[in-house]
Amino acid sequence: MPFDALADVSDDALLVLYANGDQDAARSLNVRFTPRAFGQAMRMLGDRAEAEDVAQEAMLRLWKIAPDWRSGEAKVTTWLYRVVSNLCTDRLRKQRAVDLDSVPEPEDDQRSAEGELQETARMTALQGALAELPERQKQAVVLRHIEGLGNPEIAEIMEISTEAVESLTARGKRALAAILAGRRDELGYTDG
Amino acid sequence: MNWGIQMAEMDKTTGEFDLDALFAEARGQSADPSPDLMARVLQDALAAQPVTAAVVSPPRTSRLRQFLNAVGGWPAVAGLATAGVAGLWIGVNPPSAIATTAENFLGTESDLYLVDLMPGYDFNLAEG
Repeated sequence: MPFDALADVSDDALLVLYANGDQDAARSLNVRFTPRAFGQAMRMLGDRAEAEDVAQEAMLRLWKIAPDWRSGEAKVTTWLYRVVSNLCTDRLRKQRAVDLDSVPEPEDDQRSAEGELQETARMTALQGALAELPERQKQAVVLRHIEGLGNPEIAEIMEISTEAVESLTARGKRALAAILAGRRDELGYTDG
Repeated sequence: MNWGIQMAEMDKTTGEFDLDALFAEARGQSADPSPDLMARVLQDALAAQPVTAAVVSPPRTSRLRQFLNAVGGWPAVAGLATAGVAGLWIGVNPPSAIATTAENFLGTESDLYLVDLMPGYDFNLAEG
């Protein structure tokens, strides 16, 4: 069977196929959602090993819920964003409990190009600043500004009102800017 | 240096970073899952997948099973066996009441089968 034979099938329908024992549906769901879950976890945690664990756990929950999935009630993507988001929040909370100063290090890609190094440095700074935000603020900021989701969808994921999302993202963004401004010298960067 | 440009892009009135540019950069970062992760997730998927309701041909039923299904299972067979044995016993050793009734109907004393249907035939033969 071709790799993308189920590319046109909706997420809901794929889950039904999966629950009915279709192995191709399992492969399609994996290709469709694992990169998404991993990408989100990676952006929230900044650590590849942790992000892989979260993605695997989130997908495992998807496999388990598949037989009971009610089509049309919630979007699979929204559900997955929520699960990944909550799993990441749990991990961050535990991390903080262990070490208040822990800042996730970016993966070392062994990339040598100067531009990439600078980009890595900026992403490190962003991740470090994000890690200092309160969890709900961080969650809202990542979903809104990095995942690029709309406020109503974030509201559904976080199970809060749209107004609360707006408030969280606005406060989160302000706090982020303040943290980054304060870190400028600390990180050894100077104005160009 | 790009970071310098970022600094230069700071909002002069509030002293804030151009966060949107930073976010856009973060958004553009592709974090591809490793093949190992994809394989592990697929393994989980197949392990957690509900057992396939395989299309199996209906089990072959023996003639005995078909017969049992037709008559209503073993209890019905017990009834049939009892009736069969009782019938055989009645045939071999009929109770007197049944024998009497049978005699009344069939008659053992009057030889109805000896009725001469053509009494003149003997006479005609004798007469030639």
